[in-house]
Amino acid sequence: MDTAIETNNLVKRYGDVTAVDGLSLRVARGEIYAFLGLNGAGKTTAIRLLLGMVKPTSGEARVLGTRIRVGEKKPWESVGYLVETPDAYPELSVRENLEAMRRLRPGAEPKAVDRVIERLGLDAYADRRAGTLSHGNAQRLGLAKALLHNPELLILDEPANGLDPAGIVEIRNLLIELAREQGVTVFMSSHILGEVSRLAKRIGIIHQGRLLQELDVDELERNRRRQLVIRTRDNQAARAVLVNTGFSADIISDGIIEMKDDMAIKRPDDIAIRLVNAGHAPTMLNVEEEDLEHYFLRLVGMEEGGAR
Amino acid sequence: MNNLAQAIWVEFLKARRSKMPLFTALGFAMVPLGGGFFMIVLKDPEMARRVGLISTKAQLTMGAADWPTYLRFLTLAVGAGGGFLFGLIASWVFGREYSDRTVKDLLALPTARFTIVLSKFIVIAIWSTAVTATTCLITLLIGTALKLPQVSSQVFLQSGVMIAAGACLTSALVTPIAFAASAWHGYLPPIGVMILAMVLAQLTNAAGWGEYFPWSVPALYVQGEDLGMVSYVIVILTSVAGLVGTLLWWEWADQAH
Repeated sequence: MDTAIETNNLVKRYGDVTAVDGLSLRVARGEIYAFLGLNGAGKTTAIRLLLGMVKPTSGEARVLGTRIRVGEKKPWESVGYLVETPDAYPELSVRENLEAMRRLRPGAEPKAVDRVIERLGLDAYADRRAGTLSHGNAQRLGLAKALLHNPELLILDEPANGLDPAGIVEIRNLLIELAREQGVTVFMSSHILGEVSRLAKRIGIIHQGRLLQELDVDELERNRRRQLVIRTRDNQAARAVLVNTGFSADIISDGIIEMKDDMAIKRPDDIAIRLVNAGHAPTMLNVEEEDLEHYFLRLVGMEEGGAR
Repeated sequence: MNNLAQAIWVEFLKARRSKMPLFTALGFAMVPLGGGFFMIVLKDPEMARRVGLISTKAQLTMGAADWPTYLRFLTLAVGAGGGFLFGLIASWVFGREYSDRTVKDLLALPTARFTIVLSKFIVIAIWSTAVTATTCLITLLIGTALKLPQVSSQVFLQSGVMIAAGACLTSALVTPIAFAASAWHGYLPPIGVMILAMVLAQLTNAAGWGEYFPWSVPALYVQGEDLGMVSYVIVILTSVAGLVGTLLWWEWADQAH
């Protein structure tokens, strides 16, 4: 695999606190990889390690083939990044902020500033001071700084933060387009599984500094729990019918029957026939898939008691 | 040097767009304006008392209304107050990157961190020189406008050399302030360090050890004290330590802000 990012047993400790604990992952070139975790899971520290902003306690990271050391210069002409909040010089205009960044990236051509302003939809704000921007437009400016020099690799910390729904779709489409048409690798962190599942090809789930799971989006679909939920006019009697025919069925808190047997989920029509024959025709019958948030919370051990 | 000219351009852009150059110029302009006020008073103290410029109880021990007195006032102000103003510039140039949380955008670039730090120091040096030169110019204009008695050009030359050397000594001491701004992530901690340095300067001066404390040396120099080489070496070593410390900090310390 041609890797854009590779980490081997990366550890970062601050005193007694282990922010990143044995992180080993590989991101292929041209891939969109989402790094998913709750706030404080270690996502930003991992990103700072990748960018050479903090030194690993142990382990190593390679970005575009270069081993990252603090103060390392080599891969950065090909890397665009956005870390934590999209901060800018408040007294400089949007255009001046981008011009300043362009000059510190010697490879970026002068017209790159206008191009990226147009691409991120910042035309109307180009001459406005960055300190007066809304959070959404500040986020766009942060993304514009990352994209300014047509990087091979984008490392983005919560890129959808502060964007409105239309902005989220716009940035998602932009990242997909960059990956598909220009082969740009995108490594992005997020705490919203629903958002990244629409964008990423692979997802790494981090919790308390440890990588809990790495999976393809297809695998994610397979791993999500499903259940058959049924409502009848007499749920107790209907449940007894199902249990007597060898199924496990529970009445859950809001007065519906829940079945987790594979057989029931695969053939809900058989269940309906049994109930109709027993005189308890379903008034509702539905195969429900565990939503992404619950899947994520289950994985990190924070599932709510009543969550489906 | 890797992209140094562009890094300097960026630092100047940030400075130009802020209000700091105006504030520092105004701060330094207070020196010739204050000196000019005393020249007016000294020219005719009775008139000054009559029109209420000074209280009847005012004790005028400054000297006479002439160029040597006016230039001496300027020289002492640069030697004693320059350190604070130049330190303020350094606090802002380095500390604002942390206070505005923009430092992270400067750390993973093809332009080396070393170059960025160096460009900041170059801008501080040019900025400090510009405010000092402006102050001298204002002094000359006010002195001329007040028609102070003519003196030989030697007086101006001597004062000019003393102001330039005093400004060099004070501006050399901004490097530890830049280090404090970087290590403590903002512009308030280095201002605290500066105040501490000035208090210690007063204490060491009072104790008679001022020539060995770097922040006392510029003030002693402009007062015409006979300082040994060791005093200048201490200032240079302090400056180099601050410079190297700041460079190493940017290059090697964990940047988690």
